Amino acid sequence: MIETAAALEPTFGGPLLVLAILLPVVGVLLSFVLGGRFAERVALALAPVGLVLALAIAFLVWRSGAPVVYNIAGLAPPLGIALRADGLSGVMLVTAALIVAAAGFYARATFATPEGSTEARAPFAFWILLQGIWAALILLFIGADLFNLYVGLELLTFAAVPLVCLSGKPETLVAALRYLMFALFGSVFYLLGAALLYGAYGTLDIVLLSGRVAPLPAVWLAAGLMTAGLLAKTALFPLHLWLPPAHANAPAAASAVLSGLVVKGSFVVVVRLWFYVLPALPGDAAQVFLGALGSAAILFGSVLALRQPRLKLLIAYSTLAQIGYLFLIFPLASGQHPWTIDGWNGGLMQTLSHAFAKAAMFLSAGLIAESLGHDRIAEFTGAGRAMPVTFLALGLGGLSLMGLPPSGGFAAKWLLLRASVAAGHWVFALVLLAGGLLAAGYVFRILSPALADGSLVLKSPPQRSREHAALALAVVAVALGFAPQEFFDFLQIGRMAVAAQP
Amino acid sequence: MTGSFTSPLAAALGPFLLVAALALPLAFVAAWFFAGQRRRARDLQWLAPVPALGAALLALAGGPFSFEAPALRLSLSLDRPGALLLAVAALLWIVVGAATFTYWKKWPGQRFAVCWLLTLTGSIGAFVAADLLSFYLFYALVSIPAYGLIVDDDAPETKRAGGVYMAFTILGEALLLLALALLAAGEPHGSLRIEDVVAELPTSPWRDGALALIIASFGMKIGLAPLNGWMPLAYRAAPISAAAVLSGAGVKAGVIGLIRFLPLGFALPVWGAALAVLGFFAAFYGVAIGVTQQNPKTVLAYSSISQMGVLAAALGMALAAGDASAPALVAFAAANHVLVKGALFLTVGAFAAMDWRREKWALPLAAALGLSLAGLPFTGGALAKLALKAPLGYGIAAILSYASAAGTALLMLHFVTRLAKTAHWGETARIPHAIPRYWPFFALGAIFLPWLLFPAVGHLSEALSLDTLWDGFWPVLIGAALALGLARWGEKLPPIPAGDTVVVAERAFKSSFALSGFFEKADARLRFFPAGGLSLVTIALILAALAAKAR
Repeated sequence: MIETAAALEPTFGGPLLVLAILLPVVGVLLSFVLGGRFAERVALALAPVGLVLALAIAFLVWRSGAPVVYNIAGLAPPLGIALRADGLSGVMLVTAALIVAAAGFYARATFATPEGSTEARAPFAFWILLQGIWAALILLFIGADLFNLYVGLELLTFAAVPLVCLSGKPETLVAALRYLMFALFGSVFYLLGAALLYGAYGTLDIVLLSGRVAPLPAVWLAAGLMTAGLLAKTALFPLHLWLPPAHANAPAAASAVLSGLVVKGSFVVVVRLWFYVLPALPGDAAQVFLGALGSAAILFGSVLALRQPRLKLLIAYSTLAQIGYLFLIFPLASGQHPWTIDGWNGGLMQTLSHAFAKAAMFLSAGLIAESLGHDRIAEFTGAGRAMPVTFLALGLGGLSLMGLPPSGGFAAKWLLLRASVAAGHWVFALVLLAGGLLAAGYVFRILSPALADGSLVLKSPPQRSREHAALALAVVAVALGFAPQEFFDFLQIGRMAVAAQP
Repeated sequence: MTGSFTSPLAAALGPFLLVAALALPLAFVAAWFFAGQRRRARDLQWLAPVPALGAALLALAGGPFSFEAPALRLSLSLDRPGALLLAVAALLWIVVGAATFTYWKKWPGQRFAVCWLLTLTGSIGAFVAADLLSFYLFYALVSIPAYGLIVDDDAPETKRAGGVYMAFTILGEALLLLALALLAAGEPHGSLRIEDVVAELPTSPWRDGALALIIASFGMKIGLAPLNGWMPLAYRAAPISAAAVLSGAGVKAGVIGLIRFLPLGFALPVWGAALAVLGFFAAFYGVAIGVTQQNPKTVLAYSSISQMGVLAAALGMALAAGDASAPALVAFAAANHVLVKGALFLTVGAFAAMDWRREKWALPLAAALGLSLAGLPFTGGALAKLALKAPLGYGIAAILSYASAAGTALLMLHFVTRLAKTAHWGETARIPHAIPRYWPFFALGAIFLPWLLFPAVGHLSEALSLDTLWDGFWPVLIGAALALGLARWGEKLPPIPAGDTVVVAERAFKSSFALSGFFEKADARLRFFPAGGLSLVTIALILAALAAKAR
């Protein structure tokens, strides 16, 4: 009980958490008020500020070695609502700030308000939605209350869906509608589960719940409903029906954010649910089930990626597979075993490296589609020579997806592999390896024609600065492979499974 | 002879050279990405392996040394086996690099040059890596960018070779990663140093799995039959320069892998015997298929398969006997192969680009070079045979190794015949002038340089004793007699496609595509809303039920 009380105390630097959420919200409001081309300026101006805030929060967490906590309006839960940032929040905040900034920088060319007009529909919407997504993600990463998280999830959905259909083409509208419908199903499930928990315990605060949750029918049902709802939003196989069309049809900058960050938002909530709210549940079987779904996603998504004729669809199906890896964290980091440290670190490393690698790949794919006028892989012959930097970014992203060293993807695979070996989960070890092989297959499919000799006429050369935005993200994905031990110690800060140890 | 003493000079200078050995090639890679530096990078990049050569010679002369960078999780060390291999590998990279990158008509291009440097970095790194992750990194570097060295034109056969090479490589990497995870799991203190994990291996609960994976993954790299399919295809498709460095230096990453990761010095009779059987099988298999081949490059590839088989057999016998002296001896034999096989590929290039056949001594020189692999007296190969005598010199292994020497002589004479008969087969555009011009020096160097290295592992007087000379001579005689027979009746041999069993594997691989069609259909079904909704409800119920299940 003392521990719980301590975890509820507000800490030094707590107000930064409120600032972090308010920043993009203020951005959205300012964009609305000022209108037109100011939306872009506001979004781009706030990105670096947001990054500094994220770094400051991460620094505070690192300094204190414990979560940073803030109680809104000074009221502690269960009366008030808390915000809490731990190691997981810290890295996710920084990741989100970096990717949003890179995507925004990249999108300037596509979503500039045309000269002479004061406002254009698509650009105005894009910049506001981008900030909306950012705000929602921050809320999801530091929210400490399941209803608060629900609000974040809804905001995320409503900001993400329109991004898919910004171009207004019929097929994008269809894709967006599918996304919206399925995400709504997910919300309903989540909300039902949250209501059950509230009915049983009178609070939705994560720390309070973790101390009170007991194996009761209401909790079982809530766990099932909330998780299933979140899986639908994360597009875990077999609940992926909306993802490939949505991610493949969105504009490149939006795809990068959707694939790199948005699916991670709901994933983080699943992590909060199972590792922070429900560790008291004897949930081994359920955790293994989540891992099994993840394994199926890895194999299924990779095989389908191998068959896609178009680059953006290939990358979208690869996202499906890479989401699968994330869910291996559940069987490999649950319980009180020594290997759970590796399992946890590996799962989070995969989250981060995939975010950067995939965002880089979607940005590159956008450049390729613009420069070639299509994204049919079979016709890439000679493209590598025509736009080397773009393909370098694509290749480095691919390196991380394959899990080859040096890259964050390799670090993740190595840690997950060690955890599965130590835990005796052979099937997961084999799936990890098979997924790497299949990923190598689809990355090879892209690069092999592109690296071949051939004369290719570009419609327009890719813009240098946009190539560099993609490359910078890919370099981060690779650099994560050099993360020192201190980084992994940081990821452990506030991990409840460890904190709950006697 | 164990070389545990390190001279002060080596201890002081060695670590710097180790770092420079890896940093310099990478600096050249970086230079290629700056337009202003490209010209200079191209002209000077043959010098990139010089620090590596320096480090190797220093370690041979002054004893082992190491370098640690915990922040980068990099640890390097150079012991005697590593130094032997590193010295000749670096030399080969320098010589072939100098011939290749000072040529520069239309070839080689930037992609080839950068892949060259990356492969070179990996090749050096694999010999000096001291922990699991560093080794894996360099092993991947020596394997994967080599694709760009092999696939250098658009011919369908080349693309096929590249695809097969990549498939083998990536599969080998995956197996190795699992092997390393098992090794790491068997080390109770969390150390990732190769020394530490291998020391714990014999008592590790994961011993058998780890050993099987180690043999399988490195076996793929060294073309241990039946995992040999990629090698003939790749060497046939690659430009001469690339084939020379890959067959000479590149493949030795697999040999050093076996040397480092097998717990030599701890007797494991069953595993040792298994590896020895596999190795001898490959030794004879390579000869048997090699004599049916007509393309000299393919013949050389099969000779590599055979020679690597002999090395594997030696390691197997050493493992069975718990013989801790094997690493340096096998490394010496492998070092001989680095030089000879590299020079043999250069021979193919030399004969293709210039009419060396008119010189009366040219074919005999080529034959002497080839027969070095069979242990012809006074060649480096005779020393290699002598070095392998400790692991292979007794019992049935001795008989088999004599037989394999005779087979090698047969295969090499077949190679020389093909060399003499084949007119200009390849495109000469990718053969730099320096290769035909300086070819006799390369050949002589490969034959005699091992004499300089031999004192590191044995006594020269032993090599010149009459017994040893006779031991080396008679298998060559038998091989020559067999070669006469082959010349007479060789046409009756069945034609076997280059890559032999790989044809079957490719067919199986292609038929697996049908399976993915099934996935596609399943995806189409799953993406209907009713199916999605049903899955959602089902998953919710399953999770609730599983959460309810008490432990």
